[in-house]
Amino acid sequence: MKTEASGGPTLVIPCSGIGKVHGLISREATYEIVDRLAPDTTDTLCLALLVTGDEEALAKVRSHSCITIDGCPKACSQKNVEMAGGQVTEAVRVVDAFKNHRGAQPGTATKLSEEGWTIVHEIADETARAIRGETTGGDTQDAQ
Amino acid sequence: MKQRARSAAKRREATLKMPNEETLKVGVISCSGEEIAEGTISRLATRRVLELLRPGQAVTICLPLFLSGGQEERDFARRHPTIAVDGCSKRCAKRGTEMHSGPVNVSLVVSEILNGKCGGCSRSAKSQSEVDKEAIWRVSERIAAEIDALLAQNSQAECGEESDAACACTRPVPGGSLEIDGRTVTVAGLPLIFEHLAESGLAADDSSADRLLETVRIYHPIEPGEEQAYKSSLVEAYKHYRGQT
Repeated sequence: MKTEASGGPTLVIPCSGIGKVHGLISREATYEIVDRLAPDTTDTLCLALLVTGDEEALAKVRSHSCITIDGCPKACSQKNVEMAGGQVTEAVRVVDAFKNHRGAQPGTATKLSEEGWTIVHEIADETARAIRGETTGGDTQDAQ
Repeated sequence: MKQRARSAAKRREATLKMPNEETLKVGVISCSGEEIAEGTISRLATRRVLELLRPGQAVTICLPLFLSGGQEERDFARRHPTIAVDGCSKRCAKRGTEMHSGPVNVSLVVSEILNGKCGGCSRSAKSQSEVDKEAIWRVSERIAAEIDALLAQNSQAECGEESDAACACTRPVPGGSLEIDGRTVTVAGLPLIFEHLAESGLAADDSSADRLLETVRIYHPIEPGEEQAYKSSLVEAYKHYRGQT
């Protein structure tokens, strides 16, 4: 984690993938972090703004440390942040969190089940601890 | 007026690009903007349309996938007539789709549809309230109506007609049936209208007739002379629905 290099809050950017439950988990984990666990040191950013090349969004990701949370291996959030010139200090993958929940029924892309929320909390806790410098991020995967 | 004509011409142009029956699905692309509640509404309303209101008639794709995906993703808006659903006036879904895939046929903005009435809405599903549910309902109904219009327009284009009238014979109208003066009438999305009213606490008795009529009328034309028949039929259908749930 290189959050000390940034000039402000760490940006937590989920993919919010609309087709799978993993996308919803990435989104809710982000809100758990920025609204509840680390509201003073994190913020989020609309990934769609990056996709459209919004100048303000580009400047923001280039000047802040970014943590991406992706639902699937296509890693849309990580790739888009990197293409925008942002520094991804940690690339979290929701699919990795499922390794500890084999056979879990997390819900749908619209609504999470109890198991889905459990996975959200785990990802959020782990990522928030990493932001605080307490861990290097368990199931998360350090970006290159 | 000129803008509407241009918009209609643009829609016709896009629908005429569709090559065959396999592509008769409307693409719905939401911005899913993470920073604002309207982004969450755009995402959930799109999901509702895909799952409940127009299943089988609409498809979606993750907006960021245009940049990180391959050619197949980038061809999305060229293969489907497309509706962009944006949370705010920045219209990222519209602009992103048009930059990386192709022109959209319809551009919707959640904040405009709700006319500023989403102040109490939440970004996280965890904090979702009745206000959020109502907002999602309204936006999803609007998306569904645009899908119907695009599909009808496409049918018309396939028939080679120039009229503005929709091709009702092929227009999809999934929903519930009512008996009105001895004939069967299909009301699009009726089970979902009932679900919504039930969630808002509407009683399953005769006192609900006016509210039922008023709500259904938003989505389904009802002649003044048919109001009483609709009220009776709707109350019975709603009682039946509540008995099942």
